[in-house]
Amino acid sequence: MKKSSSYHRYLNRTGWRFITPAMILYIVFMLYPIMYSLFLVTQKWRGMSREFVGLGNFVRMAQDQIFWKALSHNFIFMLIQIPLMVFLAMILAVILNQGIRRFRGLFRTVYFLPCVTSLVAYSVLFRILLQSNGLLNNLMLNLHLIDTPIGWLNNPFWAKVTIILALTWRWTGYNMVFFLVGLQNIDSEIYEAAEVDGASKIRQFFNITLPLLIPVILFSMVTSTNGTMQLFDEPNILTNEGGPANATMTVALYIYRQAFVLNSDFGYASALSYVMVLVAGVLAFIQIKVLKERK
Amino acid sequence: MKKGLLSILVLVSVLFLTVSCSKSSDSSGGSAKAQKITVWCWDPAFNIYSMKEAAKVYSEMHPEVTIEVVDIPENIEGKIEAGLQAGGAGLPDIALFQDYIIEKFIQNYPGSFVDLKAEGVDYSQFAQYKVAPMTEGDSVYGIPFDTGSTGFFLRSDLITEAGLNPEDYQKEMTWSEMIALGETIKAATGKPLIAYDNTSFDFLRIMVQSTGTQFFKDDGSVNYNTPAVKNSIAILEELHSKGLLYMAEGWNNWIAAFNGSEAAGFMNALWIIGTLKTQPDLSGKWMVVPTPLVEGVAGARNASNNGGSSWYVFSSTKNKDVAVDFLKSTWAGTSDEALEFYNTILKGAGAMGTFLPSRGGSNYTAPDDFFYKSQAVYEDFSEWMAEVPVMYYTPNYLAMRTALNNALQNMFAGNLKSIDDVIAAAEAEYKQVTGN
Repeated sequence: MKKSSSYHRYLNRTGWRFITPAMILYIVFMLYPIMYSLFLVTQKWRGMSREFVGLGNFVRMAQDQIFWKALSHNFIFMLIQIPLMVFLAMILAVILNQGIRRFRGLFRTVYFLPCVTSLVAYSVLFRILLQSNGLLNNLMLNLHLIDTPIGWLNNPFWAKVTIILALTWRWTGYNMVFFLVGLQNIDSEIYEAAEVDGASKIRQFFNITLPLLIPVILFSMVTSTNGTMQLFDEPNILTNEGGPANATMTVALYIYRQAFVLNSDFGYASALSYVMVLVAGVLAFIQIKVLKERK
Repeated sequence: MKKGLLSILVLVSVLFLTVSCSKSSDSSGGSAKAQKITVWCWDPAFNIYSMKEAAKVYSEMHPEVTIEVVDIPENIEGKIEAGLQAGGAGLPDIALFQDYIIEKFIQNYPGSFVDLKAEGVDYSQFAQYKVAPMTEGDSVYGIPFDTGSTGFFLRSDLITEAGLNPEDYQKEMTWSEMIALGETIKAATGKPLIAYDNTSFDFLRIMVQSTGTQFFKDDGSVNYNTPAVKNSIAILEELHSKGLLYMAEGWNNWIAAFNGSEAAGFMNALWIIGTLKTQPDLSGKWMVVPTPLVEGVAGARNASNNGGSSWYVFSSTKNKDVAVDFLKSTWAGTSDEALEFYNTILKGAGAMGTFLPSRGGSNYTAPDDFFYKSQAVYEDFSEWMAEVPVMYYTPNYLAMRTALNNALQNMFAGNLKSIDDVIAAAEAEYKQVTGN
């Protein structure tokens, strides 16, 4: 009895020693900043000078039209881009899995390449392609698809389309890989049985492939939602600081501008961050619920 | 157990090492004899080159002093801000600041810069519009570097093509005269008058500064509702509705527009000359005329400024005397070597200083074959520089500029119909973004 308890204490102590380095790093780089940001939230901050405002930052946020606009843009991108991308990724995966026998590896690589490309490099390239006298507009003008160049970058509506297109370009291949894995896990006997019963290919897709891929669809949606909530690089570089005139401003970009570009107001930026975390948390909660019900 | 202790030991020693490393780099050069001054700036072809030239001059006078110029290409203000928050840790002795950002630092971080007026710098020798933003009460904190003296760049060949004589336009003009010229050129050649960067505030800023009107009131609150801003927007609206603006989307697109002859001209500062010269087939075609006058505003001039930066010494420096002496005897020095140094950087980097005695240098008055009839452009720009009205930036310049430019973009897009709407929209956005 005595012996075993001291043995347990020994194990316990060793365990603590093992996690100590990780705990120290966690406390210094995670816990302390999080705690400190709780203090920041109550301040109006300008360099060395700061002033206690209590919940003033949240009152200010409620009246800040740009913040609400930015939040609405996050939701617009989420609601339009994610279904579009997931659908495309699934179709591509099915085609690659069933339709194409040759060069499958090549296509897989080509579709996956965009998501390992440097964010800045691709944003800058897209800017050049999409400007009024850029390649895309000139091509469409020459094919007589349009009469006047489309303002991909300086029209508030088309700039949002640009962001959606860019995100889709970048992440479809990434999600396609999950669907390919999902497809390979579907037993081929099911398809053979359907074949015997005389089901068409389209029928097979909707009645077999789609239902069996639902876990992958949900996984794709959950990870993409998180990414879209934190959307920053594309509006910052591709559409130039959330332009034109804040038409593609997102919450993450607005936080960055408040803290590091416009005012050095770390208090207000922290308050905005808390709201972003809250929104992301609620979304994650809903998604986990949905995932659980499925199981 | 030993391993657990070991890992803690390793971790702790790593932490200490990093701390002591940053400490030792701070205090190096504090010793008596061999002294080292560190300078932060960001453009190898421009301000780094210029600072290295200044260092050369000073090293000849004081061989015991080494001056290290460090390139900080990304987010220099963020790095400085982090250093100031940490009470000066990791900061260099001297750093370069954009003129529009320095008031934010002077006000938000009081006591962080060495008062150079108290150190004996004679500021009457500098262009006054450079000195004003770095002044607070009786203290002046910086040594002015380059000017962003502006002019209107015009294509003489297109003026000739429109049946006019370019030389008739090498004079001080008003905006109505410029618009009339633009209409004639447009009718004859089909080219719009101005390559305009839709994402940039430069154009409106140049117009408003030329009037001497401030974007902010004395109490620091924003001041959009002035004849200067209103008349300037009206001019832009007129240029736009008459088809005289070529709308470029961003910096690179804008450069491609004037270098690719999409427009008959543009308005900006002298530092663009280097970019112009990357298109040698346009040699002999460009000419520069004074910034057009905004009519109906008292105090308006044919001179303005866009961009420019200045040198500052941090109070946290351990080499204050050397750092100050270095800046005083090169950038603010009247010795032959110092004046020749200004002449060198004008030729080498196209960097025009704002130290008035330097304007007699041979490179200032040299004719430039790249321009129409070998115009001595630097001589013109330096003359205009002395006329530039003072502009104050306050800590909220960036928020002010973003809000007004967003409203302008909405005007060009047709979402805001009147000038009053533009100003109201800009005021609303400014208020929300700054929380004031």
